[in-house]
Amino acid sequence: MAKIIVVTSGKGGVGKTTSAAAIATGLALRGKKTAVIDFDVGLRNLDLIMGCERRVVYDLVNVIQGEAGLNQALIRDKRVDNLHILPASQTRDKEALTQEGVEKVLDTLNQDFDFIICDSPAGIERGAQLAMYFADEAIVVTNPEVSSVRDSDRIIGLLASKTRRAERGDDPIREHLLITRYNPGRVDLGDMLNLDDIREILAIDLLGLIPESEAVLRASNQGVPVTHDDSSDAGQAYADTVARLLGEEVPLRFHEYQKKGLLSRMFGGTRR
Amino acid sequence: MSLNVDRDSMAFTFKGGMLPMTVMELTSADPERIREQLASKLSQSPAFFQHTPVVLNVEKLDEPHLALERICAVCRAHKLLPVAVRGGPDPVKQSAWALGLGWFPPQEASRPRALESVADAAPAGDGKPDAPEAVATEAPPGATAGGRIYRGTVRSGQQVTAPEGDLVVVGAVNAGAEVLAAGNVHVYGALRGRALAGIHGDDKAGIFCRELHAELLSVAGNYKRLEDIDPRLLGTTVQVQLFDGQLSIKSLD
Repeated sequence: MAKIIVVTSGKGGVGKTTSAAAIATGLALRGKKTAVIDFDVGLRNLDLIMGCERRVVYDLVNVIQGEAGLNQALIRDKRVDNLHILPASQTRDKEALTQEGVEKVLDTLNQDFDFIICDSPAGIERGAQLAMYFADEAIVVTNPEVSSVRDSDRIIGLLASKTRRAERGDDPIREHLLITRYNPGRVDLGDMLNLDDIREILAIDLLGLIPESEAVLRASNQGVPVTHDDSSDAGQAYADTVARLLGEEVPLRFHEYQKKGLLSRMFGGTRR
Repeated sequence: MSLNVDRDSMAFTFKGGMLPMTVMELTSADPERIREQLASKLSQSPAFFQHTPVVLNVEKLDEPHLALERICAVCRAHKLLPVAVRGGPDPVKQSAWALGLGWFPPQEASRPRALESVADAAPAGDGKPDAPEAVATEAPPGATAGGRIYRGTVRSGQQVTAPEGDLVVVGAVNAGAEVLAAGNVHVYGALRGRALAGIHGDDKAGIFCRELHAELLSVAGNYKRLEDIDPRLLGTTVQVQLFDGQLSIKSLD
């Protein structure tokens, strides 16, 4: 039985796809058989972040419409053994997704995988609702700014009402908060919301905090999930996040402003 | 928006409004049977029958001609004020108009649930957050004192309503959320969204909250926006009430 986790946010550009790729990679590195599905039909990105855009033949919509088998569409990751990617279609729109089709895909994956990560599109419309509908857990990605927090709040409300678990009256979806692009220096200056304020407003468990980092941008452009860059702060923060997702107790890092010491200033600072 | 009109010279303004309304769904057209049932209801919950406006829903009746005038008389005798009729064939519409009542087209889908059936399931709000996405759970008539308790965070885009009595929110009301009550609104947490008390016009109603950051406060239609609120009161525990038609916000600290 696989655990189905949706990575969602409401607002666009907060780091859903980056986080879905990094967490899926982290789970696979920990030996979990993981599939990551791009639900952003029409605005396909996950394949770029995962660095497999040249190997896409079939996609989620082909599978749902019966034009290809699931095994034909799943792309095996070149770097980690247990990781598979199901890309979205770039030439269709979200209307091509059906609830029955998505259910069938998830049911099939359910037998072979430990984790299924659903990378949700932005917004609260059909694509986002289908991405979350069958989830067991949700990772709500939030940036430390008011509009992102409000949109996340809206999504958490939808998770409690517009999902299969909610409609059946099963145990509710477990909601986790993942704060990305956190810059402790700018928080101290008052440019960004601080961690405690975000936690107070959203009132769900904090799964992880990813510092704003050049490593993330670099990773995206190279098509290598940042989890592989274990010397970077963001890579380590995602590894911590994955450990917590697996039930381990890991102390929070990178949430306080570190003044650069004399040595690191002299040698340019290796923590990037 | 005609900006040139002098506000003082206007006799009225039209405003759109969504008022909660009791719908009386008729399953019998016999005025005598209606009279009997109303009489027994009146003894059960007299508080409900205080010139309460009702809409007579006749969709379920399959009769071309209704003794509408007699039915209305029975209602008025029991302190219910029929204001409109919903559904029914053309003759019913004509006689509704003749009686000075409004007429609404029938509503096939999503018909309002009968108040009785809600009454059983009603002490809603405890346990599951059952009211996301503008769900107005109707409280039972007569439970005016009880109102409704909602536990948990009311999130952006959600609306929680107590159409009868008070609404108690044990949790925060976030920005973009809306809480409404016929009576008082109590928020045992931060109030960041909109709070409307006395939505039926009760000007004695009030709003009470632990931490004021509200986008909008309204009592019986008199409102203040966040911008109008004294910044010194923000973040404090307050009560909001009407004094001489003015909304007054007082600290409880």
